[in-house]
Amino acid sequence: MALTFQTVIGLEIHVQLATKSKLFCACSTDYIGARPNSNVCPVCLGQPGSLPVVNGRAVELAVMVGLALGSTVQQATRFHRKNYFYPDLSKDYQISQYDLPICAGGRLSFRDDDGVEVSVAITRAHLEEDAGKLVHPSADGRLAGARYSLVDYNRSGVPLLEIVSEPDITSPAHARRYTEEIRRLVRCLGVSDGDMESGSLRVDANISQKVSDGRWGSRVEIKNMNSLRSLERALEYEVKRQRKVLGEGGEIRQETRHWDDGEGKTRPMRGKEEAHDYRYFPDPDLPPLIVESDRLKGIAAVMPELPWQAESRLVSAYGLSDDDAKIFAESADTVAYLDGCIRAGADPKRAANWIRTEVLRVLNEQKIDLATFTLEASDLASLLALVDGGKLSTTAAKDVFDVMVRDGVALEPAMTASGVTAGLVEGSQLEDIADKILAENEEAVEAVRSGRDPKGKKVKFLQGLIMRETRGQADVAQVEDLLRRRLI
Amino acid sequence: MELFECSAADLARAVREGAHSVAEIVEVHLGRMDRLEPVLSAIVTPLKDEARARAAALDIALARGENPGPLTGVPVIVKDNFCTRRIRTTCSSRMLENWIPPYDATVVSYLERAGAVLIGKANMDEFAMGSSTEHSAFFTTSNPWDPSRVPGGSSGGSAASCAAGYAPLTFGSDTGGSIRQPAAFCGIYGFKPTYGMVSRYGVVPFASSLDQIGPFARTLEDLLLAMEVIAEADEKDATCSRALRPDFRKALDVTDLKGKRVGLVREFEGYDIDGPIVDALARARAALLDAGATVVDVSLPTVSHGLACYYIIAPAEASSNLARFDGVRYGLSAEADSLIDLYHRTRKAGFGPEVKRRLLTGTYVLSSGYYDAYYNKALKVVAILRDEFARAFGEADVILAPTTPTLPFRKGENIGDPIKMYMSDLFTLPANMAGLPALSLNGGYSDGLPVGIQLIGPRWGEMEIFSAAAVLEKALGAPRLAGGDL
Amino acid sequence: MAVGEKEVRHVAQLARLEVDDGEVAALVEHFNTILGHFERLKEVDTSSVADVLDNAVVTPWRDDEVRIWENRDEALAQAPDRDGDYFRVPQILEEA
Ligand SMILES: [Zn+2]
Repeated sequence: MALTFQTVIGLEIHVQLATKSKLFCACSTDYIGARPNSNVCPVCLGQPGSLPVVNGRAVELAVMVGLALGSTVQQATRFHRKNYFYPDLSKDYQISQYDLPICAGGRLSFRDDDGVEVSVAITRAHLEEDAGKLVHPSADGRLAGARYSLVDYNRSGVPLLEIVSEPDITSPAHARRYTEEIRRLVRCLGVSDGDMESGSLRVDANISQKVSDGRWGSRVEIKNMNSLRSLERALEYEVKRQRKVLGEGGEIRQETRHWDDGEGKTRPMRGKEEAHDYRYFPDPDLPPLIVESDRLKGIAAVMPELPWQAESRLVSAYGLSDDDAKIFAESADTVAYLDGCIRAGADPKRAANWIRTEVLRVLNEQKIDLATFTLEASDLASLLALVDGGKLSTTAAKDVFDVMVRDGVALEPAMTASGVTAGLVEGSQLEDIADKILAENEEAVEAVRSGRDPKGKKVKFLQGLIMRETRGQADVAQVEDLLRRRLI
Repeated sequence: MELFECSAADLARAVREGAHSVAEIVEVHLGRMDRLEPVLSAIVTPLKDEARARAAALDIALARGENPGPLTGVPVIVKDNFCTRRIRTTCSSRMLENWIPPYDATVVSYLERAGAVLIGKANMDEFAMGSSTEHSAFFTTSNPWDPSRVPGGSSGGSAASCAAGYAPLTFGSDTGGSIRQPAAFCGIYGFKPTYGMVSRYGVVPFASSLDQIGPFARTLEDLLLAMEVIAEADEKDATCSRALRPDFRKALDVTDLKGKRVGLVREFEGYDIDGPIVDALARARAALLDAGATVVDVSLPTVSHGLACYYIIAPAEASSNLARFDGVRYGLSAEADSLIDLYHRTRKAGFGPEVKRRLLTGTYVLSSGYYDAYYNKALKVVAILRDEFARAFGEADVILAPTTPTLPFRKGENIGDPIKMYMSDLFTLPANMAGLPALSLNGGYSDGLPVGIQLIGPRWGEMEIFSAAAVLEKALGAPRLAGGDL
Repeated sequence: MAVGEKEVRHVAQLARLEVDDGEVAALVEHFNTILGHFERLKEVDTSSVADVLDNAVVTPWRDDEVRIWENRDEALAQAPDRDGDYFRVPQILEEA
């Protein structure tokens, strides 16, 4: 009988917390593009005699994630030292949490690509410090082949929250979806920018195969997946690799493998597979970390709406489609903008449409976010009110929108600047426009009058020109009627 | 009276009143150091130029009418594990022989702020691991009372230099007795404060949960003056208390101990203690009774296990604290073609045999499979010991005990036997384990050697110790200056 | 439990501390002596000691404020091996 396989995946996601200063010292966390070893001090450089002091904000951000995941936020926790020698660790130990993580347990639920509800148990989420960065000046920038390596401690001590899932994930696609959900969560909470490319969010995966004949392949750890796509590809590759080995009666080595995005392969990490013995023990420099219940209540009180809460509210309260709701819930700013528009009187669906197409388009083009977007939600709402009231066509409204955004002006001046007036173009105003168009298109007019437009194509053409001149603000029936009278 | 015989309080007063310039005071102390250093070898790095420049600057400030602080013009020496910016800090180790720290320890900046003049960095056992300074990578310091004997350790250079009058105030660190044992051997005051009383920031750690920084002095007044300067909160040390410190010098006014109970630890009586130490304890007991105190027996049933706990916990923490000496960022760095060789060779060349022994023991007790049997077990035994101390301090206000089981031993006497060397910490390390304040003071002399005794107080009970010490100083006299015949 | 050469060498590897063949024998002896002393701890009944945190002192929460450290050049000047602003280490992996 043919063997069948079951994929078992657990993820460890490291999220850099968006604090201004590092976890245990007052150095800036803003290391991207900084001069090497410039955001440093005795603490994060591991100078003898220096001591760590906990950044309270990092603790708060960790607690927010814990609350969102339904974890037990432990009121009394502590830090341990994880001892191992590596040049990116300035003390040759990492301060982390071990037996008492700040967040214990929890659960993350989401829909997979087929809309099926998936639920993944969270083991724990704990605080720890990031390591420095190594630069390998080898031909291909990789560790192998480098005669020497360079160390930059700017990242050393940046706060990380490591979120560990149970091995509940059953496919690479689910692993991707889970990671997407974590990313959406940390972004919504404002605890991290969640950017995988720049390393603000890093995923390590543990993956194994359960075989129908009772065998269970060893667990393999996969590293170096720098995007959601490479996460899914790496795991798909690994599923195939492991199934092939097991299918041929082979054994899976318990090891750490490195994903090579260019080659589309995982490879065993080079170097001796030394069994790690981290000699964890409570860091004597840091007394117990206590999250007092008042402090916990304070954090709970300022928790923003969670993405999945926002998503269901947008569907139930505003009648948005599931897809639209999901797009909006991606960012708390977008939800707030939509809420602002609707509060200012805009129709929910129209507002959602406009934000999704127009606002997000501008943000994309200008590479900015809503925080720096000049158009207030209430200004957009007043523009949309004119559309709803039939005072402004969609076409005209888009022209006005562009001017409002471009010049950073309010509705009235934007309408003046784009030559648009509110309300229907009719009567003598419409007649003047029609006469102008007819005068400019004598050939077409002649053709109609002489009966050389049996299918009415030329009439439609003239009608279109008039509608365009009025930016769609004329009543089509009125235009047709006017043309009929003029072209007889 | 020579200036080097004067107390810090007297020197500061003389400077304030304009009787002596800081330059004059500093010069006299540097001269004393110059004269005795060939015999004592207490100093790793003398700071003559720095001290003279600082003295000149202070004299100018004083001439302008400024009063820089309570220790203005007072020469001080710190153990060479206190980080001093732009001044090399060796921990008496080859590993840091040429290391120049880019920052000051908090205690160093507090001393500076108080107007003190740093005139040298004192010898010690390498990375504070030892009880004699014989484990210094550079040289062994001599006891100023008998240069054939050790000054104690690990803060032996600080103790010897204070006792011999290089400076009226010196400073050390105490992990298992490293201030009190050399204070006893050199016949002066040496105080280990309550854990959390003094900032540890910038003092290269041995065992973080046990280390405390404290002063050496030849008068109680000086000791308390020093405590007022260094016992301050420090936001850079999470283990340093943010509470207000008492006005330590009030203890100097204490003349009687009516209503106070002095505890004697029943379990300490079974130990083999040198006769002169037993006699000194008896004299102290009598003086305390004379002052109106009562004497009570207290019991610490677990105290005999302290030594084992100490030699598990301290090396374990040290094995992690000293991991950073890997040849990458500072200090010694061996020639190597690969990272793994860099690590092994640097650490082999940089650490002496005692440090290596302790790092290996510490690594072992934390390693996989042994954590519960050793480290965790030791922590639990220490928790019991803490409870026993808490109970004892329900019955006594202060405990009187020996500082060491023996008088200063001869150089080389214990060096071949680490375990025997460890025994000299027997009576001092319980205070470190329980985080308690403890003072070693001179209880007399025997055949020209000083005899130390110890007062141990409850947590934050510094004033209990200092009150009893004030009474004892009046009854037994202040320590004598050592090195008179050298 | 007796410690032998193998254990001492393993611990030395963990501690990144090369020991000579000549040192190993003395270390084995030292280990066994000191571990013998540690054995006595087993006599202490610690079953009453709860594995809970000692909250007598708690860790303070620092405000999230950036402070720039001015002496960075002095720290870098102490590097045994440097390449510009970087610390430099010999190759991390052994030759294959
Ligand atoms: Zn820093």
